[in-house]
Amino acid sequence: MKTLLEVKNLSVSFKTFFGEVEAVRNISFDVGSSETVAIVGESGCGKSVTANSIMQLLPMPPAFFKNGQIIFNGKNLLDKSDKEMEVVRGNEISMIFQDPMTSLNPTMKIGKQIVEGLIRHQRLSKSEAKKKAVEMLNLVAVPEPEKRVNQYPHEFSGGMRQRVMIALAMVSTPRLLIADEPTTALDVTVQAQILELMKEIQNKLEMAIILITHDLGVVADMSDKVIVMYAGQILEEGLTDEIFKAPCHPYTIKLLASVPSLNMSRNEPLHSIDGTPPDLYIPPKGCSFYDRCENAMKICKDYMPEFHSRSATHRSRCWLNHPMAKDSERGES
Amino acid sequence: MTVPLISAKNIKKYFDVGEGKLKAVDGLTFDIYPGETFGLVGESGCGKSTAGRTIIRLYDPTDGELIFNGRNIYDLSINEMREVRKNFQMIFQDPYASLNPRMTVEDIVAEPLDIHKSYTNKEERRERVIELLKLVGLNEEHSMRFPHEFSGGQRQRIGIARALALNPKFIVCDEPISALDVSIQAQVVNLLKELQIKFGLTYLFIAHDLSMVRYISDRVGVMYLGHMMELSHSEELYKNPLHPYTKALLSAIPIPDPDIQRNRKRIMLHGDVPSPINIKEGCRFVDRCTHALDICRKQTPKFEERIKGHFVACHNL
Repeated sequence: MKTLLEVKNLSVSFKTFFGEVEAVRNISFDVGSSETVAIVGESGCGKSVTANSIMQLLPMPPAFFKNGQIIFNGKNLLDKSDKEMEVVRGNEISMIFQDPMTSLNPTMKIGKQIVEGLIRHQRLSKSEAKKKAVEMLNLVAVPEPEKRVNQYPHEFSGGMRQRVMIALAMVSTPRLLIADEPTTALDVTVQAQILELMKEIQNKLEMAIILITHDLGVVADMSDKVIVMYAGQILEEGLTDEIFKAPCHPYTIKLLASVPSLNMSRNEPLHSIDGTPPDLYIPPKGCSFYDRCENAMKICKDYMPEFHSRSATHRSRCWLNHPMAKDSERGES
Repeated sequence: MTVPLISAKNIKKYFDVGEGKLKAVDGLTFDIYPGETFGLVGESGCGKSTAGRTIIRLYDPTDGELIFNGRNIYDLSINEMREVRKNFQMIFQDPYASLNPRMTVEDIVAEPLDIHKSYTNKEERRERVIELLKLVGLNEEHSMRFPHEFSGGQRQRIGIARALALNPKFIVCDEPISALDVSIQAQVVNLLKELQIKFGLTYLFIAHDLSMVRYISDRVGVMYLGHMMELSHSEELYKNPLHPYTKALLSAIPIPDPDIQRNRKRIMLHGDVPSPINIKEGCRFVDRCTHALDICRKQTPKFEERIKGHFVACHNL
């Protein structure tokens, strides 16, 4: 598989009144051309900032790129001008957002919102664009598309609005779709419909998906590869099976254990992770998970470990996985 | 057979909206036993939160009875209700909106004590607040701070401390963990379980996260558009769901295990939940049901006990 997107040593910070918030700290990963990569982590771990950096949707200032490259299709997106980025956003990378209630314009008809992008980026005539808009609604299985194009967002339910968002993202047949918590605001039965739809479209159009979510069930369902983020850093990365079956990092292990499975006994307590993530105004010098880690050692406090590979696709950042760590120190991992 | 702590009999709550009647809760009948956790699940708009609020009479019911301690609390006067209300408390979904940002934690937690005048002097009030904060894993130094200084999980702990202030018997937990991260969710759920054992609390746990509900509840009720569709012990409900809606709902939960996820067959529901305004007679689920019969459109199915302790409302069984 060809590499479509390569994020290299990316660091993004925000300048605030109280100082600099280091939201994303030196992360690297790549996405293949028809791969689904899930980025998981808790609120504030930097997953949305990563997504918005790729799209360059962060308000600058206060945000700024400290370091790194985002190479899409061989070109560094961070070198592009605003005008050039607009072309990339309209044609090659699309994004859908968490909240389908607020990401559509309430005063514009659905059809017009889809047509807007078509006329701007594909230079279609008005009537062609309108025809295409109906086609797109058909693709995302909105019933009666001819009637629906003339309705306003408030006449759509949450699930239908998310379908419209997907239609909007798909008009340009993008190479990469970034989905930032696409189903978090939806009910489970509707979530199942939307996930199914995303898979279907991916098969039809061959595109890569970056899926940002905190729902590990959705990750298991959708992704080929998983990236676990914590406090602005990647702690573990691997194929979906590797992450779920043989997690290496104590954080990943704990995260997986804190979700009740459908066959666990009601008498055993859930594994919670005590404490809260660190403050990114003053990121910890050592491992960012040190304060909450049960297996923490002296070295963890002062030095953040480098990545250690377990296989060609599976790597994690923990001293316990260092080749020189003794087995007895590895604890439950 | 133990006596139920709370017995809901055909409770209804309608709201008048411009276009007619919105039947948010339309005839719920069930018991909640002392010391148990009763889970109430369903999709948004199914009336689960309205049901929770109507049960403790935060909303005045349109019809029905709620028996607590042998009395129908819907018949009580405002003054009598105030006395009874000490037994009922609520924990809200949004820990950011349910705490007054201009009050200190001490005042927030002490508010129920103030209302019911259950202390004689300031020291007593303060002692009780500190005792409550310690119960939920906070400490004395937190008492003079304001809500914005706390994280979501800590705020939910403050909300729980407030709910415990009057030694209630029954707590309605309305989506208490939906706004929290998974690792924090586990902390709060473990705390709720611990407190339940310590004080013999009874919970009505309202949620849409089905795997969490299975884990925390003894019995679970499934709601759809104001009706109870199925009710059973949680193990039984998850192993042997009878209602087509419950089956679809369970099959839609994403399971964090790639092997299971790859091989399972989903029952895909089409469409969305219809509008609850001026709804027609018949089974509420009929438009999305794959097994719908003619009778389902004409007659509302009765909510009956099919297997011991397992109630279901469906014509097609």
